[in-house]
Amino acid sequence: MIRTLSRRLLNAAGLLLAVLVFNFALIHMAPGDPVEVLAGEMGGATPELLAEIRAGYGLDRPFHVQLLTYLGRVAQGDLGHSFYYDQPVTGLILDRIGATLLLVCAALTLALLLGCFLGVVSAQNRNGWLSHLVTLLSLAGFSAPVFWVGILLILTFSVALPVLPISGMSSVDAGRMGPWGRAADVAAHMVLPVLTLASIYLAFYSRLARASMLDVLGSDYVRTARAKGLSRFLVVYKHALRNALLPVVTFAGLQFAQVVSGAVLVETVFAWPGLGTLAYESLLRRDSPTLLGILFFSALMVVAVNIAVDLLYRLIDPRIGAR
Amino acid sequence: MSMTPTPPLLSVRDLTVAFRVRGEDAPVVRDLSFDLHEGETLGIVGESGCGKSMTALALMGLVPNPPGRIASGSIRLGDEELVAAAEARLRRVRGARISMVFQEPMTSLNPVFTVGEQIAETARAHLGLSAREARDRAVEMLRLVGIPAPERRVGDYPHQLSGGMRQRVMIAIALVCEPQVLIADEPTTALDVTVQAQIFDLFRELQDRMNTAVILITHDIGVVAEMTDRVMVMYAGRKVEEGPAADFVAAPRHPYARGLVNCVPRLVADPPDVPEPLFEIPGLVPGAEALARPGCAFAPRCPRAMPVCGREFPPVTASPGGRSVACWLDAEGAR
Ligand SMILES: Nc1ncnc2c1ncn2[C@@H]1O[C@H](COP(=O)(O)OP(=O)(O)OP(=O)(O)O)[C@@H](O)[C@H]1O
Ligand SMILES: [Mg+2]
Repeated sequence: MIRTLSRRLLNAAGLLLAVLVFNFALIHMAPGDPVEVLAGEMGGATPELLAEIRAGYGLDRPFHVQLLTYLGRVAQGDLGHSFYYDQPVTGLILDRIGATLLLVCAALTLALLLGCFLGVVSAQNRNGWLSHLVTLLSLAGFSAPVFWVGILLILTFSVALPVLPISGMSSVDAGRMGPWGRAADVAAHMVLPVLTLASIYLAFYSRLARASMLDVLGSDYVRTARAKGLSRFLVVYKHALRNALLPVVTFAGLQFAQVVSGAVLVETVFAWPGLGTLAYESLLRRDSPTLLGILFFSALMVVAVNIAVDLLYRLIDPRIGAR
Repeated sequence: MSMTPTPPLLSVRDLTVAFRVRGEDAPVVRDLSFDLHEGETLGIVGESGCGKSMTALALMGLVPNPPGRIASGSIRLGDEELVAAAEARLRRVRGARISMVFQEPMTSLNPVFTVGEQIAETARAHLGLSAREARDRAVEMLRLVGIPAPERRVGDYPHQLSGGMRQRVMIAIALVCEPQVLIADEPTTALDVTVQAQIFDLFRELQDRMNTAVILITHDIGVVAEMTDRVMVMYAGRKVEEGPAADFVAAPRHPYARGLVNCVPRLVADPPDVPEPLFEIPGLVPGAEALARPGCAFAPRCPRAMPVCGREFPPVTASPGGRSVACWLDAEGAR
């Protein structure tokens, strides 16, 4: 267990290093000069000013020196300084990460729970209406683009039927509400973005859970469970579900990266003040330190989640720990 | 075996199990009747696909549905009718009064629960034991089926046990509620020969102790001779011969059964220089369409087939000593 964990951590460190180098090179090669954008926003761009800014950020030095300096800083936990916001990138990210995590975790939980439930119920009644509904839903979920679903939801629930806020994370007057009022306000703002993000994965998980459940329900050990005279509930939710969850958990872990990238789209559609909007804005502003920082941080999250899923898998399936 | 006319424990009459294949009902077990008495061991033999497992699953009320179902007939356990009984009533019978050990020990245990839990949950479901009592009972059962260090093994997962040990666990699960009938479907096919002998010793010992009636499904005539009191031969879903095991092995009647018994190489003390050729039943195992045809399904492969065999299924001829056979050669008036 400890050995597997340390091996996984070593792998993760190597992967993160590769991500850093790759992203740094990519952004370096990208067209557009951040210094000109910056100077433009400051009001004027004399050659002297440009040179001064370049020197200030070390942008006049050769590529490999810049890269090594950057890596050295990251190793010390310093993700650099934002050109645009003029503050440390780490602080910027930490300010926004909460909003993103809230969105991603809520959507993932919703997609997993509801997906498993739909999958299990439709597997038990293979040709029932619910089963067909799951197939239809997942087809729609697979083929509909995220922003389209988001905009459709906005048009329905915020414009045609104005019950939910269109965008942002809190109302203008949130400052005057009590703690519960503020929580309720955030919850109301969450509904549409979470539904949008969950819809993509809900389709996927319900199908996966259904297929996995069908497979398990036909297995010899489920027949044994029935032969013992156990109730239908125990047979399905104790003996079958726990085994059927294994592939679902694996995929949830592998897909976490996609959920994070899906969150970028959803955040921009709903102006949700998370990392996704920050990444989008930084890209437009050529704020490469911030963009690099976010990319690195996302990679870090994905790697951490994968390790966590690995550990969780060991808890569910006793066979893994033995190997 | 006693000859007293006590009513049978289990009584099966005209049982037909059908599978719906491409819109048509294909029978895999047909008009099957037999009795099982308390403490008795009944062997069911027949080649692969003849319907042995489906017969067993029908007794458990576990014929996979869809596509299968019990199309007609009756199964009485004591004075309770099991065909068409409500699921809730069947649940109280399964695992408690009739239980089953399956053909595949490697896949029949749930990989994510400890063997102790898998035994204990059966005890909790039927005997109303508390969690602690059920666990103690699981340890006791593991000891009974000959698993060493049962206090430790009770916390093991199936993958930590060998095939023979897993089959012992399956037997422990089947016997934990001391059922009246134990169905063992080729319990040793997947195991090696030494383990096979141990498992059969265990069956005998447990049967003596609990007076359980056993239905032992096998295609090994040696096992029939050694383990069973009575034997029933199935061919293509039908019973073709039945009788006391010793008499049957000494002198099988039905041409198919003769082939079956003669297929077993005899161990001779002083082997001749040229070994006797092994007898082989010519032809192939009949497919589902052969089962739907009229007449005796064995006729196309039978060395002594007559014209009537292809037209009509032979009546059952009973003879003294509790033997019966379904063959035109034995039927009165046959030519
Ligand atoms: N799901 C199914 N659909 C259609 N036919 C089936 C199905 N399951 C079993 N059968 C048929 O039922 C017949 C009887 O099968 P069964 O498993 O009882 O055979 P068996 O005598 O136990 O054979 P074996 O010795 O190989 O275990 C077979 O001919 C098989 O083709
Ligand atoms: Mg079988």
